[in-house]
Amino acid sequence: MAASLKMTSARPGRLCAPWLAALLLCMLVPCLPVASAQAQGPLDGNFQIDSAYIVLDHDVLELNARIHYPDNERIRNALQDGITLGIDVEVAIERPRRFWFDATLLDSTLRRELTYHAVTGRYVVRNEANVEQHSYATLNEALEQLGHIDDLPILVQSQLGPGPWQVAVRAGVSRGRMPAALRALMFWTDDWHRLSGWYTWMLTL
Amino acid sequence: MDAHALKRSALRLLAALALCAGLAALALLALSVENSATFSRWLPWILLSSICGVLALGALLTRKLWQLYRDYRNHVPGSRLAMRTVWIFGSLVIAPLVIVYLFSLDFINRGIDSWFRVEIKQGLNDAVGLSRAALDLRLREQARRTESLARALRTLSGPALLTRLDEERRAAEAQEIIVYDADSRAVAISSPTPLLQPPAPPAPEVTLQVFGGRSYVSLDPLANGRYTITTAAPIDVHPHRPPTRYVLINYAVPTELSELAEGVQRTASQYGDLSAVREPLKVSFRLTLTLVVLLTLLGAIYGAIFSAQRLTRPVQDLIAGTRAVGKGDFGTRLPLPSRDEMGFLVHSFNDMTKRLRRASEEAARSRAAVERERERLSIILSRLSTGVIVTDSELTLYAANASAGTILGAQLLEAVGSTLESVRKPAADPDATRASGADARLSAFVGALRERLTGSQLEWREQLTLPSDSGERVLLWAGTRLPDERARAMIVIVFDDITALLAAQREAAWGEVARRLAHEIKNPLTPIQLSAERLRRKLLPAMNAEDTVLLERATHTIVQQVDAMKQMVNAFSEYARAPDMKLACFNLNQLVSEVVELYRLQDASAEIRVDLDARLPEIEADRGRVRQILANLITNGIEALAGQSGGCVQISTVLQSLGEASTALISVRDNGPGFRREILGRMFDPYVTGKPRGTGLGLAIIKRIVEEHGGRIEAENVPTGGARVQVFLPVGAQDRALLMAAERRMELRRERA
Repeated sequence: MAASLKMTSARPGRLCAPWLAALLLCMLVPCLPVASAQAQGPLDGNFQIDSAYIVLDHDVLELNARIHYPDNERIRNALQDGITLGIDVEVAIERPRRFWFDATLLDSTLRRELTYHAVTGRYVVRNEANVEQHSYATLNEALEQLGHIDDLPILVQSQLGPGPWQVAVRAGVSRGRMPAALRALMFWTDDWHRLSGWYTWMLTL
Repeated sequence: MDAHALKRSALRLLAALALCAGLAALALLALSVENSATFSRWLPWILLSSICGVLALGALLTRKLWQLYRDYRNHVPGSRLAMRTVWIFGSLVIAPLVIVYLFSLDFINRGIDSWFRVEIKQGLNDAVGLSRAALDLRLREQARRTESLARALRTLSGPALLTRLDEERRAAEAQEIIVYDADSRAVAISSPTPLLQPPAPPAPEVTLQVFGGRSYVSLDPLANGRYTITTAAPIDVHPHRPPTRYVLINYAVPTELSELAEGVQRTASQYGDLSAVREPLKVSFRLTLTLVVLLTLLGAIYGAIFSAQRLTRPVQDLIAGTRAVGKGDFGTRLPLPSRDEMGFLVHSFNDMTKRLRRASEEAARSRAAVERERERLSIILSRLSTGVIVTDSELTLYAANASAGTILGAQLLEAVGSTLESVRKPAADPDATRASGADARLSAFVGALRERLTGSQLEWREQLTLPSDSGERVLLWAGTRLPDERARAMIVIVFDDITALLAAQREAAWGEVARRLAHEIKNPLTPIQLSAERLRRKLLPAMNAEDTVLLERATHTIVQQVDAMKQMVNAFSEYARAPDMKLACFNLNQLVSEVVELYRLQDASAEIRVDLDARLPEIEADRGRVRQILANLITNGIEALAGQSGGCVQISTVLQSLGEASTALISVRDNGPGFRREILGRMFDPYVTGKPRGTGLGLAIIKRIVEEHGGRIEAENVPTGGARVQVFLPVGAQDRALLMAAERRMELRRERA
């Protein structure tokens, strides 16, 4: 129903996820050069949201998106060494306000994990609760599958309230199963963390 | 709120922040150390609390150290003790903390590194390989079985196909067996449970493999930790076209094998994840340990400083209090620090200052009382006409009153503290005669005093005659020893000049004598004279010439002597007679000029010089009696110059004050031989004269006239030669009243003395 409109690097009025740890480490090492996780490292490659839209199906808003994740030998090797990659898709719906912060109607994250199953030699994709799991013979297949989000229910229409509504979608790849504190601690050296830009559009129903 | 209070509040807030941050960090660390997930979740807060605590403690510690250093440099009392205490506490805390810190760092590094040893990784790889080998064996077996089944199904279709599939499913313990056609539609299904909906088409990788004419086999992990083996094989094999049918079988891996394989997989996965966080884990542990140790270290040092200052504060208070007490501030009260020994010490100090304050107040009251008594005594002594001095055996003068100086003619008040022998004449006295007389008087007094003090009797009361230019001065002096603990005895000497008293007594006696003489002698003189004249008149005609001469000579002698006696009796009568004063205001200078002019006309043997004070106002007095005074004094002067060439009588008048009263000073001075020393002190007594034919009543009468006017008369010798008589007459009635009142007071004091 709604076409993709634009991509931005940051959503106004929101803090980054590991804000507290970043604040701490900024206090500790204020002079350290902060490397951009988006530019260099094992996750280098094309990483973007190609398209995203929301459909209304029986009063339920369903997200559809096409995401292109990076795929390279380092990722493959790292997965085969046993690390877990966290694949997050963050979706937010806000109501812009002129004289105050935007009202957040939805801030949800679809969390999935990508691992390499050493015993079977397959790439396993599982959701956050480990209730659903799929395995793929190749990494490309797994990433392809991860990049397809179809009819993901995110909100009931009655929860939207009056418009206008701005939808923002962002994907992120990080080294999974690393405690958030440790990830925050290593944020300036951990190159296993990358975020796509925000993909935003105004929702019309 | 002033700046000081604001600063104090900020410091308290900072201290509270440091304390809360430190406690929070320690509590979080203690609560999360058992659970790595909790630790990971709380690590940011632990770090934030630690950093806040370290920063706050660092700020407080910097301030405390700066204060300590400043106090040490400024030699503030107690700062050295505080510095030493901090040094000892700091050393005791830092050394073990550093050792523990280094040991812990090494332990963390070794511990974390030990998790990732090569042997462990190799063991894991081997376990994975073993699991894979075990499963591969089963995979190959199931693949062969599937291929065999596919071959067996080439000729079957319809119910026979289903029957064969069921048989095979049971035999192979497969989960399900599905036969797909070329469009991947299920044409036959064998499943232990009926399917509610058609099965999903196989994965593209399956069809890709099968349509290539090859068998497919895969091992898929399931979400429940189990494994499933999927095999597929083409049923109809044609050389150059895809098969029309293929079979797909799902086998469940035995539970035991699945669990073992999943365990190996899980361990390998966890190991991989752990390997990825190896360095961050080290950093986080090091950072946490460093912050906690730093927090502990700073807290310990701050606590050491705080304790040292808390320990030395009572000492500083005690030092300050001691100094305050040393400066005489006995009101110093120190706050009680605690109930320990220091508190007992401070309590004792407060008790001591309390007692000292009471004693000081008592002493102050005593001093004030003594001071009041001293002032009272000083006033009494200053008002006393009696001389009082306090001295010791060395004649050191400890105290004296003004009258003592007046009587002895010395500046005794200025000489307190020195010896009596060093006391000199009054510096203000320009008259050397008086000064020498005073010296002689003081010397005689000191001599008599030394004589007394050298004896064993230190208490006496007697008369003392001292030489003086105006004659002898008679003192009534008494001495007694003061009770004193000093080695040298303190002697208080009280003396009074009773010369005037004695003179008054003599005068009164002579007045009585004169009155009796006038009464007893004058009465028979006239009958004697009349009888002698009658004898002469009656007998003279009847007597011969010889007897006549005798009678004439005898009666003449009688009459002459009776006249002489009458004159003498009249003089006595004049002396004793209470005068009736006729007071009137007149110009004294004019009267002096008149009298002097009269004498200049009568007798030119002596030069009379006059020096009159033009400022002298008219005085209120009996003009006739003042004339008599002037006449007598000039007569005495001229008679003293009889037979002397170059004789001169100087008469001067001066307006002079005697106390509060204004007086006219009449001074008559000659350059004759002066008064003889033996009569110098008794010249105003009757019948004391230095002239061969004098009656000795002239100066006595002058003195009485002067005293009747309330004035004063003095006679003395002039060192350059001659005598001088000074008469002080009050100018007015008020001055006369003042002088007479003063004289009465003096009289009373003399009588008391």
